[in-house]
Amino acid sequence: MFRSTSGTRRVLLACCVLLLSLVFVLPKQSRTLLQAIGQPLADVVALPLGALSTGDRRVVDLWNSYITLRNVQEENRQLRREIEFLRGQAADLREMAAANQRLGELLRFQARTPSQSVAARVIGRDSSNWYQGVVLDKGERDGIRPEMGVMTLTGAVGRVVKSSATSSIVLLLTDPNNAVTSLVQRTRDEGIIEGTLGGKARMKYIPLLSTVRVGDPVVTSGLMGGFPKGVPVGTITGIQKDEGDLFQTADVQPEVDFTKLEEVLVVTVPRGGVEPATTLPVEKKKP
Amino acid sequence: MKPWLYVGLAAGLVPIQTTLLEHLSVAGIRPDLCLIAAALIGFFGGPVDGMMMGLLLGFEQDLFSAGDLGINLGTKAAIGLLAGLVGRYVAHVTPASVAPVMLGLSVGSGLAFVAAGAGGGETLTAIQSVLLPQALFDTLVGVALYWLLAERFKRDDSLVS
Repeated sequence: MFRSTSGTRRVLLACCVLLLSLVFVLPKQSRTLLQAIGQPLADVVALPLGALSTGDRRVVDLWNSYITLRNVQEENRQLRREIEFLRGQAADLREMAAANQRLGELLRFQARTPSQSVAARVIGRDSSNWYQGVVLDKGERDGIRPEMGVMTLTGAVGRVVKSSATSSIVLLLTDPNNAVTSLVQRTRDEGIIEGTLGGKARMKYIPLLSTVRVGDPVVTSGLMGGFPKGVPVGTITGIQKDEGDLFQTADVQPEVDFTKLEEVLVVTVPRGGVEPATTLPVEKKKP
Repeated sequence: MKPWLYVGLAAGLVPIQTTLLEHLSVAGIRPDLCLIAAALIGFFGGPVDGMMMGLLLGFEQDLFSAGDLGINLGTKAAIGLLAGLVGRYVAHVTPASVAPVMLGLSVGSGLAFVAAGAGGGETLTAIQSVLLPQALFDTLVGVALYWLLAERFKRDDSLVS
């Protein structure tokens, strides 16, 4: 690869072939080895990732400022410069105010919940198209471990699947490989929330005799998946009940807009439940 | 130039893939830069360079993906190796001949993901909504980059072994 002697090159090649053989022959055991090798590498790669994420936000802000200025008529150069400068400052201040408001709400929400949680910033998306995931700027150094639940003040987001010292990967609720135990808030029927490839979610294994209906809110059950009980998951938008089936399946519109995730809370100790009066959607009266 | 190019790719490609590429996504699908890079290194640098860089880039990608560790590592290494063999043994590699190879490599990689359960059992939907669009995107970007690099290395043969 690099300008090296053929001996070094052969050793490198042999290591690569050995590693690949290990991955194919002993996939589970090799995962532990890869995790150990990968930790320091992930920390190194997380540095440019964080910097790029910050730079990207600034470029987007600049681009938005440019778009808003595009239709302004030709003015005095000095005035334009001043306007540009002031608008830039105003945009920065608005962004800071919005961030402050979001973080303030997040802190108040964090204080209301009896669970312990860590606030983290979303710095990237999954590196492949095959999984719906996000990268967080905090990891094991802040107490984040795999299988912990992730939420915003709007609702459940997903669960941590990988963590290094300084970053962690969250599998979103809308990924088909995710499964979170939940219950229909009105009927208290339990089921499992799974994602779909269309970016939505569905609730499986709802008892056949359940009176679940469109519009019912779904919340976490608190039994599994690293969430406290009662975190909003979504609203039922459709129900499939076929003859011969043992269970019903419901389409669920998630509460959280996963395309606009910026800050999240990672639930490190999921005990108790979320205060229903302030965070849960209003429960509909039984007919 | 070559070592610095490889170091730059190893340090920068995965962060770019996870942050900036979101702006280039069409219907939620982004080109897989690591796949394209592994294939192009294979074409220009040979099978060993392609496989080794594919392995490194795939491993990094695995660390920043929700999937199991090892799947990107394996597929990217195989892509680098296969592209390298094509580059070495096909007499006249042109952008037109790179296109079907790139398409085949991307489809093969996608099938490996589907086989590993990435689509969550919705195989047909996964093929229609992720595998094929991504393969087309990878082919377009890959061929364009191949053409640019081929033009560049006509004048400067520094990457070709």
